[in-house]
Amino acid sequence: MKLVIQSRSGREVVPGGVQVDDGATVRDLMQAFHKLRPKYYPSRQRFSLAPKAGEKRGVALVPGKKLSDFDLRDGSVLTFKDLGPQIGYQTVFFWEYFGPLLVYAAFYLFPEVFYPSFKSIPTKSPVQTLALAYWSFHYAKRVAETYLVHRFSHGTMPLFNLFKNCSYYWGFAAYVSYFVNHPLYTAPSVQRAQIALGLAVVCQLSNFWCHRILANLRPPGSTEYKIPRGFLFNYITCANYTMETWGWILFGVATQTLSAFLFILAGFTQMSLWALAKHRRLRKLFDGKDGRPKYPRRWVIFPPFI
Amino acid sequence: MAGSKYLILYNLAAGTSWAYIFALTVNAIYQGQTTQELWKDVELPLKAAQTAAVLEVFHSAFGLVRSPVMTTLMQITSRIWVVWGLLHPVPGPTTSGSIPLLKLPNFTLKLDLFSLLLAWSITEIIRYSFYALKEAGRAPYFLLWLRYTTFIVLYPLGVASELTMAYLAMPTVKKSHLWNISMPNAVNFSFDYYYLCWLAIAGYVPGLPQLYLYMFAQRKKLLGPPKAKRQ
Repeated sequence: MKLVIQSRSGREVVPGGVQVDDGATVRDLMQAFHKLRPKYYPSRQRFSLAPKAGEKRGVALVPGKKLSDFDLRDGSVLTFKDLGPQIGYQTVFFWEYFGPLLVYAAFYLFPEVFYPSFKSIPTKSPVQTLALAYWSFHYAKRVAETYLVHRFSHGTMPLFNLFKNCSYYWGFAAYVSYFVNHPLYTAPSVQRAQIALGLAVVCQLSNFWCHRILANLRPPGSTEYKIPRGFLFNYITCANYTMETWGWILFGVATQTLSAFLFILAGFTQMSLWALAKHRRLRKLFDGKDGRPKYPRRWVIFPPFI
Repeated sequence: MAGSKYLILYNLAAGTSWAYIFALTVNAIYQGQTTQELWKDVELPLKAAQTAAVLEVFHSAFGLVRSPVMTTLMQITSRIWVVWGLLHPVPGPTTSGSIPLLKLPNFTLKLDLFSLLLAWSITEIIRYSFYALKEAGRAPYFLLWLRYTTFIVLYPLGVASELTMAYLAMPTVKKSHLWNISMPNAVNFSFDYYYLCWLAIAGYVPGLPQLYLYMFAQRKKLLGPPKAKRQ
């Protein structure tokens, strides 16, 4: 069958339309379109049906489904949107987590470069060394998880996100490390740092366990929603964020640095928004009606507050 | 309905304050006063009028008006910074200095407190009276036209004058270590207002075209020919 492809302004993108088999999937259509318009590789494409009466936007085609699932037949019209240059999730994750490893350590290792107005740099306190160890452990874990644990239901995101995310993570790494490794840094007690960072490691291990549970939630290739269960998920919808937040709070306590708390505040705000959205989605999806399970009563992210 | 009455009152009050600031400024220029003399009279009304504008962020956040929160926030932040972060702490150089643009035999066109207050007050008088009348349901076309036309000249003039204030204040900010927090301290933190000023100035680079183009888009939407309905 032949499909008519229009841009959002109603212009025909491929004169004459795109020819696909009758039993073709959305993926086949994307491949065929890619052949005709090499600039738009499949992950850059989004096709949607013409909006029905009362709809603002038409339904978007899902790559895993068949064209016939959307009632498409010969001569049907689809709207094409260019999503812009795309980049793989793993690539973005790698750069945004690998950067802070280098940035943070740089302030510790080369103080003469970053604090040029100081003639002599005092020897490092054990608190600063422990902080570096924890920070590095944290981000090394994130890099490892990116390749070994996480499963990404979307393969790509817009290229711009790479710059946005990297500025956030690298920027805060510099902002925290600058003060923790400052020549005029006043170290709190070593014992406090040992206890706090020891607990923070426990939080990180719990966070890792949460990530494993989330990764094994659904069978490979499936994108359907499941209720996370087991371990801390029996009490909190986004237990992974809870553990992440506590890990950073303990880092802040160990180093006693205001900038670390500003970093926590920024991260916690963002995670709370994500967690609230996920909590709402799960509650709506699992409403207990028509044989669907009911989403249990749980904290969202940070008991006993939200 | 109560919201609408409140908005009319707010816009009327704000418009009147800016009209007063405008009158003070024009009078000072007419009388041949210096910018320093004007500052003595205009300081309090200017601070009051500009600080009250913070309410507009809330108007937009709570959906009382339709303008986007971020755009409003950007506009207000830069103004508040100029008033409370430059003019207030460093009144000496900002209210006496200037940057000359064009020298003519008996007149020098320059950026200073006069140009700043003229650009701000004219913009605000038009804006607030337009909003007040619009809320009352009777905004005349010429006000709509002024609202979406005068910015073409007044916005760049305002921004140039704001940056002039920064240029005049910066040496003093640096020398006096204004609002600095230095290490060592219990929270292991330091802060240098001088660098924050540079950050604020850098913020104009992406902010200026964004707001300016936003206003042009609004102009096209409100003053342009009515859009033909697409089939």
